[in-house]
Amino acid sequence: MNRLLKFYHELGSPPSFYRITSHWLKPMLILAIIFTLYGLIDGLFFAPEDYQQGDSYRIIFVHVPAAWMSMFIYAIVGISGIMAFVWRMKVAEAVMMASVPIGAIFTTITLLTGMLWGKPMWGTYWDWDARMTSELILLFLYIGVMGIYSAYDEDPRKAARLAALVAIIGLINLPIIRYSVYWWTSIHQGSSVSLMGESGIKDWAMLRPLLVMALATKFYYIHSMLCRAQSHLLKTEQDKNWVKLALTGERKDKTQGGNL
Amino acid sequence: MRFGALVKRDVLVSWRKKSNIYQPLVFQLLIVTMFPLGLGAGAQTLAKIAPAVVWILALLSTLITLENIFKDDYEDGSLDVYVLSGMSLPLAAFSKATAHWLTTGIPVMLFAPVIGVLMHLPEQSYGVLLLSLLLATPIFSLLGTVGSALIVNIKNGGMLLSVLIMPLLSPVLIFGAGAVLETTLGNSALGHLLLLLGCAVLALTLAPLAAAAAIKVNLE
Repeated sequence: MNRLLKFYHELGSPPSFYRITSHWLKPMLILAIIFTLYGLIDGLFFAPEDYQQGDSYRIIFVHVPAAWMSMFIYAIVGISGIMAFVWRMKVAEAVMMASVPIGAIFTTITLLTGMLWGKPMWGTYWDWDARMTSELILLFLYIGVMGIYSAYDEDPRKAARLAALVAIIGLINLPIIRYSVYWWTSIHQGSSVSLMGESGIKDWAMLRPLLVMALATKFYYIHSMLCRAQSHLLKTEQDKNWVKLALTGERKDKTQGGNL
Repeated sequence: MRFGALVKRDVLVSWRKKSNIYQPLVFQLLIVTMFPLGLGAGAQTLAKIAPAVVWILALLSTLITLENIFKDDYEDGSLDVYVLSGMSLPLAAFSKATAHWLTTGIPVMLFAPVIGVLMHLPEQSYGVLLLSLLLATPIFSLLGTVGSALIVNIKNGGMLLSVLIMPLLSPVLIFGAGAVLETTLGNSALGHLLLLLGCAVLALTLAPLAAAAAIKVNLE
């Protein structure tokens, strides 16, 4: 427990966050690529056809993981927003602002793939049903956080605190929005994956690529978020000594040794 | 005491400026004219969309006034004085919301039946229309203080304010316009109104805190 606590505090300091996460970037990227390749090949070529939808159901191997990520990332934005607002942690600010664009992109992917699938299946690209509408509103929440952050570009710390506040307000409102929007009659089918439910995917050959893709998007998110968080920290901390050391780090030992 | 003084001051300022009060109403009249022009003046067509139009106009006309809730106070330094005087910031935010509701919310609410008549809203719906706006206009003002406090030192922050506040207002719109719609169909609107009341209670308890937090960050 003590070690875990120490690790947590280490992650909270920008220099050690930068140092520690630098080692994670490559493995995460490799895992993401392997899982994506496996998931897509398995999903597009080996998973059986759906008895009703034929081959066009295969878009769920992109659509559903992206939809999961769009909500998962907003939860991370909200939680790191709370940490940034309450404890003023620079790393939490970096993680929050790094996550927002990725979440917005996943939300956009969810909406676009849903629309492409909706045309042949429902006969329309867009229908104002509950899930689509709340996903669209989720996109507005992401845009709001990005908007307030970029509006205060002269003071990134203040901008991050206000963006955190917007994210927290959004987090409180998200359930209200979701449930209010569900008041409409919906043509969107229920969840595709549920452990207890009656409906949904039963076939392991269909479920496997979906879960693999869900892991792939997680790994990709971690990789992309850490890259963005690192550059966010380098930018906001550019006057600090650790940035100079980190950017010239590799050669530091040699030149010091050589000169002295 | 300070709460009352602040509200009184803001209401007086608005009253002397007048345009603050009638601007949203003129806006509603201008926009409502566009619906028959664009849709054709058939009474049936208009009546069908009347609940939504009346509600959306009330919402939009309030939205254009929200940006200014804190703007003047921020620019002339009054906001700093509130903080320095040791006044509780949530209370200050609540008093701004109260003043905004008195000078914008109530006129908008009272004007909505006029828009309703122009849109051929069925007769049985007016009571619920007024009741739903009575519950909703305080939410507009309260959430407005949050939005306004967030964008207070951004130039041309109106668009950003809309982006920030639209997701928060969408449940209010669903329940409010839904309540009026139910009455036009001859159903009871009680469920929608109760949910609207819940939203109002939530906004009343949380919005002043959020607005105060945003002001605090902005004045740091």
